Amino acid sequence: MTAPAIRMSGLRKNFGVSEIIRGVDLDIHRGERHAIIGPNGAGKSTLFHLISARLPVTSGVIELKGENVIGLKPFEINRKGLSRSFQITNIFHNLSVFENLRCAVLWSLGYRYSFWHRLAGLKDARLRADAVMEDIGLTSRRDTPAGILSYAEQRALEIGITIASGADVILLDEPTAGMSRSETDDAVALIRRVTEGKTLVMVEHDMGVVFGLADRVSVLVYGQIIATDAPAAIRCNAAVQEAYLGTGTHAGHGHE
Amino acid sequence: MSFVFSRGRLLLWGACLALAVALPLVLKSGFMLSLLCQIGIMVVFALSYNMLLGQTGLLSFGHAVYYGMGAFITMHTLNMIGKDGSPLVVALLPLVGGLAGLAAGVVLGWVTTKKAGTTFAMISLGIGELVAACALMFPGFFGGEGGISGNRVVGKGNLLGFTWGPQVEMYGLIVAWAFVATVAMFALTQTPLGRMANAVRDNPERAEFVGYDTQRVRYLMLILSGFFAGIAGGLTALNYEIVTAETLNAHTSGVVLLMTFVGGIGFFYGPIIGAILVSVMQIVIGGMTHAWLLYFGLFFLFMVLMAPGGIASVIAMQRNLWQAGLFGRMVPHYLAATVPILVLMAGLVGLIEMSYALLAGEGVGAGDTATRVMGMQLQLASMEPWAIALATTAAGVALTRWIGGRTGVAWNSALSTLHGDKS
Repeated sequence: MTAPAIRMSGLRKNFGVSEIIRGVDLDIHRGERHAIIGPNGAGKSTLFHLISARLPVTSGVIELKGENVIGLKPFEINRKGLSRSFQITNIFHNLSVFENLRCAVLWSLGYRYSFWHRLAGLKDARLRADAVMEDIGLTSRRDTPAGILSYAEQRALEIGITIASGADVILLDEPTAGMSRSETDDAVALIRRVTEGKTLVMVEHDMGVVFGLADRVSVLVYGQIIATDAPAAIRCNAAVQEAYLGTGTHAGHGHE
Repeated sequence: MSFVFSRGRLLLWGACLALAVALPLVLKSGFMLSLLCQIGIMVVFALSYNMLLGQTGLLSFGHAVYYGMGAFITMHTLNMIGKDGSPLVVALLPLVGGLAGLAAGVVLGWVTTKKAGTTFAMISLGIGELVAACALMFPGFFGGEGGISGNRVVGKGNLLGFTWGPQVEMYGLIVAWAFVATVAMFALTQTPLGRMANAVRDNPERAEFVGYDTQRVRYLMLILSGFFAGIAGGLTALNYEIVTAETLNAHTSGVVLLMTFVGGIGFFYGPIIGAILVSVMQIVIGGMTHAWLLYFGLFFLFMVLMAPGGIASVIAMQRNLWQAGLFGRMVPHYLAATVPILVLMAGLVGLIEMSYALLAGEGVGAGDTATRVMGMQLQLASMEPWAIALATTAAGVALTRWIGGRTGVAWNSALSTLHGDKS
């Protein structure tokens, strides 16, 4: 049996005396779409930061495809095939949409720190960037500086940068945050399309998105996973209802 | 060459090279020739600085270290080869300077580029001071206060008739090196490393999450920037045949920062404009008055306040207006605006020069109270010239406010039309 895409065991993170992640054990299977939900402040984004090495872990183990990745730098983890997006749009503001995407594919195509290749001559990088641009529907904005795109366009670019390198483990942090209903529908279709055949982990507040997209759902409450199951089972889980869906309004939206 | 250039670009670069080569035919005087030499060297130095500031987002206060190391090593090499050398070897010496700058970058950059932002700026300042202090502590290598000198005419033969003795031949050598270095630096902006430097400048965190070690990107850019700064240093050693500790001190670092900024860090050609402008100010205005640093300071202040993107951004703006067909309607406003600015400048220059003459005793003998300003013999003791200068300044301020305000209104309306057309 192949190792899970991501395995976390006994994962803890303290900020000073306050414990944010209090012992998380979770396996993300290869090729599954896994959603992490939970109330505000449960530590969802922190969990992402630990997996992607944006923050150092306090204790515990994280394995990426069977390999211990504790102590690695973000770029080293990225090179091992894990790519993430950010809750707050994190793009190269002064570069054009095309340049943003090309920057995202250069390392994976092996160009490293080359100053002996001419960018314009790198056909593979151009084709890959163009293909992703087509995927995320920004072809008409090719030469626009990323900083002046609309919010929804920036969110699409954020996803584009994340998937461009061809990483097989994708972490999306609230990809639809702040989007209108129709923008969200587009984003869900986009995520479904571009993560085909890959492992997807996402933090999401919109229950419509979660139940529509995820194969499995984990519920994180106060730094601990209280349940991991198929969406339908999560909906019926008493502990989850009490801790989270029981607040009513969220659950109501979830059945749309 | 098509490696780097589209046809239009090739034409532009060719035209620039032709202009640089042709200039000495028109500007024949020794003064002009040495000015042109200085410009050529500064163009390379400023462009190398912008590899850090504009392209990688690293504000360095110690870039003169790489320039100075290039100059010193070149001078020592020149003295070492001495009579055994040939004009060909001398022509290649700037490369030695470049390698010295590169080596300095490898060693010092390892320390400075660990962090970006303010930390980098502070460490670069510290390293700059450290090296400048070393320059005075080790007179054997740096020559102490007097610096070290040499003679660029070595050996007997010549290279295609060149011995590099006459200044005009030195100018040719500078143009050749400056052109090659400029092409190389431009080409670098079109490579994966060059683009990732921009990415690291814009958003280092994201650059890490697309697989790039930002520290490595900064380090490599600093090494390469040191290389080109070293070439400029090598050229300055050959050109002046003397290198002093001043080449690597904080003042030189400051000047290259200012010229790059004034020219415009957001454009590749910005530093070229800055290098030309500041060199001209330094040498031409510096030759006319000892208060030139004051004028330069005022000018820098004006630029930072009015055009923080530098001269290149102003040019780019005019080009946008031109392409939108809006430039024509701004021309009368520009012309009108020059009048109050000239009046204001005349008044200010009068005040500054007279104050300077009075306080510093500049250009006047003991007890002498006259000075020459703009060709006029002025009596500092009498009220009259002061009153006139003050009145002129006041008139300039009033006119600038009046006409400048109207220009501003026209400018804003042109801009809104421009952006309206776009969206």
